[in-house]
Amino acid sequence: MNKTEFLLSLEKKLVALPTHEIEVTQGFYSEMIDDRIEDGMREEDAVAAIGDVDTIVQNTLLELPLPTLMKAKIQPKAGLKLWEIVLMVLGFPLWFPLVLAFFIVILAVYVSVWAVIISLYASVAAFAFSGVAGIISLLFAQSFAAGLLMFGLSLICIGIAVLAFFGVTKLSSWLIGLTRRFLRWVKSLFLKKEVV
Amino acid sequence: MDIQLKRGLLEICVLTVLNRGDSYGYQIIKDVSPYIEISESTLYPILKRLETNQSVVVNSVEHNGRLRKYYKITTTGRNRIVDFLDNWKEVMTVYNFITEEMRCYTDE
Repeated sequence: MNKTEFLLSLEKKLVALPTHEIEVTQGFYSEMIDDRIEDGMREEDAVAAIGDVDTIVQNTLLELPLPTLMKAKIQPKAGLKLWEIVLMVLGFPLWFPLVLAFFIVILAVYVSVWAVIISLYASVAAFAFSGVAGIISLLFAQSFAAGLLMFGLSLICIGIAVLAFFGVTKLSSWLIGLTRRFLRWVKSLFLKKEVV
Repeated sequence: MDIQLKRGLLEICVLTVLNRGDSYGYQIIKDVSPYIEISESTLYPILKRLETNQSVVVNSVEHNGRLRKYYKITTTGRNRIVDFLDNWKEVMTVYNFITEEMRCYTDE
């Protein structure tokens, strides 16, 4: 395969993407082939060294935002035939709730992860607040012993808040990473061969 | 190697190579490949991601009558290398613990 054939084949397989996206991708691989040729390779060898077009297409598609990817994979290449339109209309009560459920599940995963993060920070804030409130309450202490106990408890609360803050921050970044992996997995469902 | 781990490592390797100076796609592959397996199809999404999260900036420079894209590391990119090294210290502590434990276990 020569360079022109390679770039054409890439364009054909990425056809569902926006034109700009296709041009940028072609530009990148064209530059790569030219650089290899400049390095002393034959054109065919340079193209072969770049790798297989399908792998490139898979890797490119996985990086796209989910709606663009779905549009690219689901949108029919040619216009719809009459029977397909009839089937779509008749099947609406079936496919619409399924599509809706699909998005709601994705949303639910995100909402629950964020709910965990928010509740963890809320607990940290609660500890900090009780610590501060405890110290203020010293002004109204009934006796020295009660005041001392309150002071100790307040310091414990503030200590827990400070330590937990770092733990919660780490945990949150891990959870956010988890949502990214989840999204990548959802995207891989739209690709034939899983290359996540 | 675990795919997620490899993706993360490749990003940092690319940033490290760019930390030496601005570079272009093919040169990055040549510089990174002695250390970790990398191909054009893996580099392309990595560079796109690094560009999106502002770890690198891109500019086109004319070279032999065609345009070549040069990538330049930003402060955000450098900070990512520093963060990676900090995190990796913890990983190394765990790694040393596990290898030591396993060595004692196999010695017994």
